[in-house]
Amino acid sequence: MNGRWVLLLLILFWPGVVHAETVYRGEQSLWQDTVWSGDILIDGILTIPAGVSLEIRPGTRVRFTRFDSNGDGIGEHEIFIQGGLKAQGTAENPILFTSAEAQPAPGDWGAVNMMAAEEENRFSHCRIEYAYRGFHSHFSDAVVSHCEFVRNVRGMQFQEATVSINDCVVRDNFNGIQFRDSRVLLKNFVIRDNHWGLRCVYSELTAEDGEVTGNLINGINLRDSTLDGSRLLVVGNRKGIYLQGSKGTLRDSELLDNSEHGILLENSDAVVRRNRITGNGRAGILCREATGTLRNNHLAGNGEYALVNDGKGEVDARGNAWGRLDSAEIAGLIRDGADRPGVGAVDAADPQL
Amino acid sequence: MDLKGAFTSLLLVCGLLAGCVAASPPTLPSAAELERLPVLSGVVTGHRVLRGEVYLADDARVAPDAVLELRPGTTVYVRSAEGTQIDPEYLSSLTELLVRGRLDIYGTARRPVRFIPLTPGSPDQPAWAGITLTGAEGGQIVGARIERAETGILCIASSPEIRANVFTGNRYGIIAQQGSAPRIFDNRIEKGEGGIFCWRGSAPEIVGNEILDHAEEGIFVDADSRPLLAGNRVSGNDLGLVLHDPALVGDPAQAQGNRENLRILHPPSSEAAR
Repeated sequence: MNGRWVLLLLILFWPGVVHAETVYRGEQSLWQDTVWSGDILIDGILTIPAGVSLEIRPGTRVRFTRFDSNGDGIGEHEIFIQGGLKAQGTAENPILFTSAEAQPAPGDWGAVNMMAAEEENRFSHCRIEYAYRGFHSHFSDAVVSHCEFVRNVRGMQFQEATVSINDCVVRDNFNGIQFRDSRVLLKNFVIRDNHWGLRCVYSELTAEDGEVTGNLINGINLRDSTLDGSRLLVVGNRKGIYLQGSKGTLRDSELLDNSEHGILLENSDAVVRRNRITGNGRAGILCREATGTLRNNHLAGNGEYALVNDGKGEVDARGNAWGRLDSAEIAGLIRDGADRPGVGAVDAADPQL
Repeated sequence: MDLKGAFTSLLLVCGLLAGCVAASPPTLPSAAELERLPVLSGVVTGHRVLRGEVYLADDARVAPDAVLELRPGTTVYVRSAEGTQIDPEYLSSLTELLVRGRLDIYGTARRPVRFIPLTPGSPDQPAWAGITLTGAEGGQIVGARIERAETGILCIASSPEIRANVFTGNRYGIIAQQGSAPRIFDNRIEKGEGGIFCWRGSAPEIVGNEILDHAEEGIFVDADSRPLLAGNRVSGNDLGLVLHDPALVGDPAQAQGNRENLRILHPPSSEAAR
């Protein structure tokens, strides 16, 4: 037997050299720690039970078939994790979670679904696309870095979780990120071209060095939550940042060209400092029963008004730059109790250039 | 009284009675009565036709390629479900009718299609989200009465015909955005926060409408949108027409009797300000 025949036999029979696609059909569970690489097809619901961990190696492609049992247009096949998941790709060899359909669409498959997982789940260098809820974490903590969530019905969703997200892109989803009762750190992120970008209730959000652009309804919307935002670029959304019944600080950010308002504060208490808020259609900032301070912001060049107070209380807006210094001209950029009876005043003293 | 006179009197009485019926608030069904009504909620597939009384008990969405048709005289009672949770396929925490397929509402002047929230609401505290069309397939909304919604009709990349409707007490009457080009003809839009908004490259035809008594704008057009404005009556609003391009105003007599009839905005200044 010459060397070429030996080489051919090795190629054909050496385990791990030839990778057939690994297929999971129906409802299955992994009963031992498992490592995935190559191509994986999920044609059902795969459970990672408590006590078991799944590691997904760089370059792995995980595909899900579409199965819609009740005709609601939402695929149901998914990975359900109660144990641990480590999906850690690399920049050169990311991990792909996608639809197995020839013509994929958002909602083809369910989610990477973590429910009361035992360990902190880790995702890095992953791309999740065409899911119903790309990344879904309930009572489970996670670290997500360098990932893309694209063309899902919802990119990410968590409840009662602590999640750290850095260097991630969430774009072209029906809606981007939603969470409740959670603590979330977002850093170096892009949330772009979703119907709404980020929405949360009863949560604490720290958002730093991020871009929130082109979302069709709201860029960032917090309800009964707390925001610590800094160095954000919030551009071209319908509303930029919308706080409802929330507390927050926003500083050193740019809120530009949002169709309605750069910032909308409704029954909220906020400290807004050193931001550039310009080119927004209806008003730079709209306050409805808002407390707190607006200080050292650049508020020139907005559409109808720089600042509107629709609440009964006074708004403290001392020390902002309005693009002019004349108090009468500044008053023309503000709508408050001087224009509408029963509405509080705006204190625009100490204008800056 | 001759026969002609008697007939005229009869017509007048009928007209007055009809007017009273139209003006008086409808009697809302009891919980037991609601339970017996056909329910609209969840996903609509195929071609579904509604008539008579219907209960919008929860969020409903018309799937792509599906048709929801409302026949003349249909009354839709809307459950006002203010919550915090939004399923991923919806957009609002309020009850919404989300259309990704086709919506055909065939109301008439005598037999309008009415959307009636079951709880009070106002432009500041809407009782429901309203009708959202996103990537919808044409369709028509004719002869409807839509009230106390966050947005009467929100068109995102959708271009239905919106004709001869009454929008009252909504926060936003009609919004056209993201390339929408709805034909907005002969509607009455009143008593909300704002009447019609044109955002992000929309190009609606806004013709022959009455846009009245809004706390803020009658019609707002951003710098990217190119609506046709003709033959409207925009009156009693805080700001009548708000536009970037004065050439879009058409006949300035469209806006009269507002606190400020016309406000021309400066172009978005962010580029210049950078």
